[in-house]
Amino acid sequence: MNSLKTAVVLTTLVTRLRENESWCGETHVQKAAYILQELLEVPTGFEFILYKHGPFSFDLRAELTALRADGLLQLEPQAPPYGPRIAATKLSEKLQELFPKTFNRFNYRIDFVAESLKGKGVVELERLATALYVTREILSEGTPSDRAQKLVDLKPHVTLEEASAAIEQIDNLMENAQSKLN
Amino acid sequence: MTKNIHEIRDPIHVFVRLDSLEREVLNSRPFQRLRHIHQLGLTYLVYPGATHKRFEHSLGVMELAGRVYDVVTRPDPEYVTDEIISLIPEISRKDRLSYWRQVLRMAALCHDIGHLPFSHTAEELLPECWDHERLTRELIMSNELAAIWKNLTPPLNPDHIVKLAVGPKKAQDLPFTDWERILSEIIVGDVFGVDRMDYLLRDSHHTGVAYGKFDHYRLIDTVRILPKPLSEEGDESKVPELGVEEGGLQSAEALLLARYFIYSQVYLHHVRRIYDIHLKDFLGGYLEGGKFPTDIESHLQSTDEGITAALWAAAFDERHPLHKVAGLIVRHQHFKVGYQRNPHDQNINREAALLVFQRAKKYFGSEKIRFDHYIEESGPPDFPVKTRDGKIVSSLSISNVINNLPPLAIDYVFVNREYLDLFKKWLQENRDDIIQPPREGEENE
Repeated sequence: MNSLKTAVVLTTLVTRLRENESWCGETHVQKAAYILQELLEVPTGFEFILYKHGPFSFDLRAELTALRADGLLQLEPQAPPYGPRIAATKLSEKLQELFPKTFNRFNYRIDFVAESLKGKGVVELERLATALYVTREILSEGTPSDRAQKLVDLKPHVTLEEASAAIEQIDNLMENAQSKLN
Repeated sequence: MTKNIHEIRDPIHVFVRLDSLEREVLNSRPFQRLRHIHQLGLTYLVYPGATHKRFEHSLGVMELAGRVYDVVTRPDPEYVTDEIISLIPEISRKDRLSYWRQVLRMAALCHDIGHLPFSHTAEELLPECWDHERLTRELIMSNELAAIWKNLTPPLNPDHIVKLAVGPKKAQDLPFTDWERILSEIIVGDVFGVDRMDYLLRDSHHTGVAYGKFDHYRLIDTVRILPKPLSEEGDESKVPELGVEEGGLQSAEALLLARYFIYSQVYLHHVRRIYDIHLKDFLGGYLEGGKFPTDIESHLQSTDEGITAALWAAAFDERHPLHKVAGLIVRHQHFKVGYQRNPHDQNINREAALLVFQRAKKYFGSEKIRFDHYIEESGPPDFPVKTRDGKIVSSLSISNVINNLPPLAIDYVFVNREYLDLFKKWLQENRDDIIQPPREGEENE
């Protein structure tokens, strides 16, 4: 996917996350973009690793900075102690209008992700995205309980109960995403 | 009695002190090679004082890494709170603290040993999947250095040195604990990384550009490991991060401003950038297969002097296939800026400069036009700040300076100086036709 199409996808994702009551800090965008790429097969081509708060892409961070430099995204400072929120600019709406095919091709997938993650905070997103990472990258054949245990091994601050719930949620999300794609 | 601590005079830190084991690393071939690698590539062609080398920078990084470590692990509740001990139990174990101090200083010393001649300039002439960090990693694991790690008491785990020297971004296959991540940030981090602190101070000193200076004494004195709320929206869960006491926030801002200005004035200077491009063109023809070798012995023999000698030989030999490009550097006949990124054109099309380059290449021929593009990769630094009333807040919630620093971005279209006037006339006549809003299906892939 070239840089203009990637810009259309990411700015639309930010808009939809904001519409769905997401705080929309960088961590939220990272997790949503991971799910969008891995589960909804939107070919943004970012490389994700397991990092501080679960799957994270340095390439995506660089792209978000580039979008700010190009005036397509902006940061909205928040009152202390909170970090900033990300917002799409008017210029990004113009770009989306110029790419109707890309917009239409991926819009329903972006909607699906934003609605599925509606109102979720970073702690929940970390669990969910890590559950997906475990399922896709580490134990694709594992039983739910094996995967939950692996999640706890990777993120010791997550309880087994929380991990099991996250695995169950991600299995449901994968099933729904697949039917959406079909 | 044999002396165990040795002092080296340094223009930035006055003295750099190292022990006999660290001196063994200093005397190794990978480290001595850094005496022959310019810290700023060909920047000395623009700023004549910039002839300093990676050697002294690496010593400076080691010195500062030790200073930061001693502050953030000081056994005093004002510095290391019980909450931090609960998040990083390692920090309360005296024996482990001395082990990790040694690992950190060794990693700092070695963090640049993989650099190619002329530092960053020619990094893209490495084979696919290679960068200088990977070469650094190979060298840390090499027999020559492994023998040193093994002889220490206790022996140092080379994986630990690698992780701290290159950080999680460049060692994505290695799992990092919170403690290792923080220690790697002491070297390679965006705000409190001593690599950055040293290069800003040192490059500023040698180029004669005052912008790189900031109060690093105050900054280092106020750095702390702080419990950062896990989420942007202020969740209860905490992760340990490098941060700063509120009293040091202005020093952190000064560092970020220093970085912004020195990038704009020195690292992204248009003449420096075109010299880099000319050097890459030369190396593409000079190196076997157009690529740098990645085996350790070849790397150890590869220095700026060797390439400079070849460059001069080619510039003085009219029959040499690289005569022309070598002459552009040696006789200072570099290409000039014909077009550069600007907000007006960016608003029309974020690829405006690329469009100008592509059309110019077609019209004037590819040998007369060069393109340069850079956008910084990291976002605004979001680190924890401990306020005077003991609260932990995001740096972005209390610093206007950090919030308003624009991302560094450049695009240059360079033109052979003999065609510059023609290019300008051509661009004036065709500008509106070239820089148009993107149309789906016609954009660059």
